[in-house]
Amino acid sequence: MEERVPQHVQNLVIRNYCERNNLQFLLSATEYAMKDCHLIFEQALLELPKISGLILYSLFQLPKDTDRRKAIYEKILHQNKTLHFAVEGLHASNQKEFEKIEIIWKVHNVLKLCIKTLDSDKC
Amino acid sequence: MFLTQLEQKTSNEYLTQGYIIRPAADLKALEWIRNQFIYLISEALNIKSNDKPEDILNYIHQKVAAKDLNAFRLKIINGFNALKEFREMYFRVARPYLECLVGNELAMQLRVNLSIQMPGDDSSLLPIHADTWSGDSPFEVVAWIPLVDCYRTKAMYILPPASSKELNQQFINYSKNSSEDLYKLIKDKIKWLEVAYGEVLIFDQALPHGNLVNDELETRWSMNCRFKGVFTPYGDKKIGEFFEPITLRAASRIGIDYRLPKIK
Repeated sequence: MEERVPQHVQNLVIRNYCERNNLQFLLSATEYAMKDCHLIFEQALLELPKISGLILYSLFQLPKDTDRRKAIYEKILHQNKTLHFAVEGLHASNQKEFEKIEIIWKVHNVLKLCIKTLDSDKC
Repeated sequence: MFLTQLEQKTSNEYLTQGYIIRPAADLKALEWIRNQFIYLISEALNIKSNDKPEDILNYIHQKVAAKDLNAFRLKIINGFNALKEFREMYFRVARPYLECLVGNELAMQLRVNLSIQMPGDDSSLLPIHADTWSGDSPFEVVAWIPLVDCYRTKAMYILPPASSKELNQQFINYSKNSSEDLYKLIKDKIKWLEVAYGEVLIFDQALPHGNLVNDELETRWSMNCRFKGVFTPYGDKKIGEFFEPITLRAASRIGIDYRLPKIK
């Protein structure tokens, strides 16, 4: 993600998402600060058998690498769990829903190469 | 431009007046939407009514007090946004016009909005504003679909492009005033948009627009949803958190997946 939202704000958004969607918030896990690190997330995935799913603050916190993202989707699908994305208000628990998440990701990546503004003040 | 005659005519109308009003492209989809609303209203108010849908909607103010309006509105909004087919049905109502004006690779807002404006109620007013002033992308359009006939103060107003351009040029002189002062400045130049049930309004949300107290005898029910080209610049409302692609074409599907072969 381009800018980091403070951790306590991310927590508020996630908790609010849980409230709105009648989900029981169990535990918060904070990723290491190193760029592109997902160690804690991978650890949380190991807990899947005991929980109904995981909530990320944003779907753009998923790994940038397509194969790594697909491996995560496979883990979620294989165990019939749900992956939630609080800011976007989206969730995925089947192939079709993960395909939708992937399309958003890939379009987001391509947008970095597209025209951003026509505002001459910002050129 | 290689636009067809109809596309050219529609585009010129949009460029000149800042909006178009057309018959619903899919009336069955619109009727399905309205039926869902009637169901949700019946559930929310625990009523069973044999009244015509337009009467239930137009006279909802006889059943819902102004102080309860926002909670009622949110209940209805959550209800219809939870319906899987709802957004596609909404899109169908305006599809050919959106494809003409915006393109055929569209991104759509994730949640459709709802306005309920009861007669005499000043709690749901939208002061004059252009959505771009709040950070929205100028590449967005709004598809505004009423569930009842909307006219005069039961509708919304817009400032036409020529007057909007004048206002933009003078804005620096008024930037320290209130939105009410701004309204007074342009009130003789605004256009009230008459949109009947069965029609769809598509307007340029970069033009100043808003509503006033509904002085008519019926409640306005209107939905609104933003659309834009998938690959056009995004403003504060980003892909994923606010928009999602709904008509990505095969060439773009290939393009977003494409990687050059590695050579080392």
